[in-house]
Amino acid sequence: MSKTDDTKLIERCSAGDRQAFEALLAEYEKPVYNAAYRMLNNRDDARDVTQTVFLKVFQNFSQYDPSRRFFSWIYRITLNESINWLGKANRLEPLAFDAADEGKGPEQQLESARVSATVQAALMTINTDYRTVVVLKHFLGCSYVEIGEILEIPEKTVKSRLYTARQQLKDALTELGL
Amino acid sequence: MTIEQKFTDLINADIDGDISEAEKAELQAFLSDNAEGRAMHDELAALCDTLEGVEQEAPPPYMRHVIMNSVPPTGSKEESPGFLQILFATPALKYAVTFAAGVFLTLSMLSSSQISNQTFDNVTGLVGTVAEPVNTTFARSVTLSETDIAGTVSLRSAGSIMILDFDLVSTDHIEVQADYTDRTIWFNGFAQLESEGTTVSAEAGRVRLNMEEGKRRYAVYLHNQGARRTTVSLRFLADGKVVHQAKLDYSPGH
Repeated sequence: MSKTDDTKLIERCSAGDRQAFEALLAEYEKPVYNAAYRMLNNRDDARDVTQTVFLKVFQNFSQYDPSRRFFSWIYRITLNESINWLGKANRLEPLAFDAADEGKGPEQQLESARVSATVQAALMTINTDYRTVVVLKHFLGCSYVEIGEILEIPEKTVKSRLYTARQQLKDALTELGL
Repeated sequence: MTIEQKFTDLINADIDGDISEAEKAELQAFLSDNAEGRAMHDELAALCDTLEGVEQEAPPPYMRHVIMNSVPPTGSKEESPGFLQILFATPALKYAVTFAAGVFLTLSMLSSSQISNQTFDNVTGLVGTVAEPVNTTFARSVTLSETDIAGTVSLRSAGSIMILDFDLVSTDHIEVQADYTDRTIWFNGFAQLESEGTTVSAEAGRVRLNMEEGKRRYAVYLHNQGARRTTVSLRFLADGKVVHQAKLDYSPGH
């Protein structure tokens, strides 16, 4: 969705248009949920965080700065909520390799599911600063500039964190046999 | 041998496609003469391919509905007015016409002593009129957040009439059973809003609703002579299995 489309929807949302809000929800529900899931490694927690994020968005449209892109705002809220959630649950990293054992249903037999679970397990071994840039770059498709905007850090720091995160992820995946 | 940080950065930049021509040439020169550098480039490229190939998780199907239900109605541009707003709009709107079925039916049946707590089925499609809006008192509500079904069920009362408001979305066919142990309570009417496809049947102490998948809003009217304290037990079944249970208590004065 373009920035213009988002801006129009947000204007309507600010005026109390629930249909516009539902359109925003439809557009961002999946990336927000996925970001939360990759940060938290738990689908129920990801669901709760997603609900919280959208409720906060709805209640705080007046605080949204239209000069910024909407996705950078909602992703920032998502990551902050996820990190808060980790803190509240006293589940600061590393969370070991829970994902690899999660949900041994038939679908998990598929190779793609195994890879997904192993990647998730590796993600949980790196600290939240590094995990955050990996999620933004590789799961939400953000550029360096966009990541810098979302996290409010210089682009140089984004690159530094991302490169370190990749190296750590690579080592973790090797250890996990992928 | 450790790779110089500068080249580590260039390898990452190259993988991300964020590298200038000059930097690219410098990196190529380095890699052509450095096996460890080439190995790192290949490994990081493979890592990024793996990350990009991870499929996105699908959010729970009911989540959007739950979020929309948690968002308070605001503003004047509301395009989908709430159940209560429509029901009690003055003058009575389309929904009220359907709602009247319960009242109309009850009055006529009471006067002819045809029902009491006797069983009668297939009560959909009833119509009637309401001359005046009805003031009700909210009693209780429950929220569902299951994979198969999500939404809210609320209980209100208006004198001897108890109203169960269902605002639900389901991903499958769902049977809803509303049981009331007080056999002096009887089914009083049924109305649907914005949708069709829910059928209702009533028997002594129980109303059954069968709803197809999708968003459904409807109301069930029960007659509680004397407005006595009672409990309505709700069961939601998918494929014959109970997926959610809840109770709604009614006490006079609440």
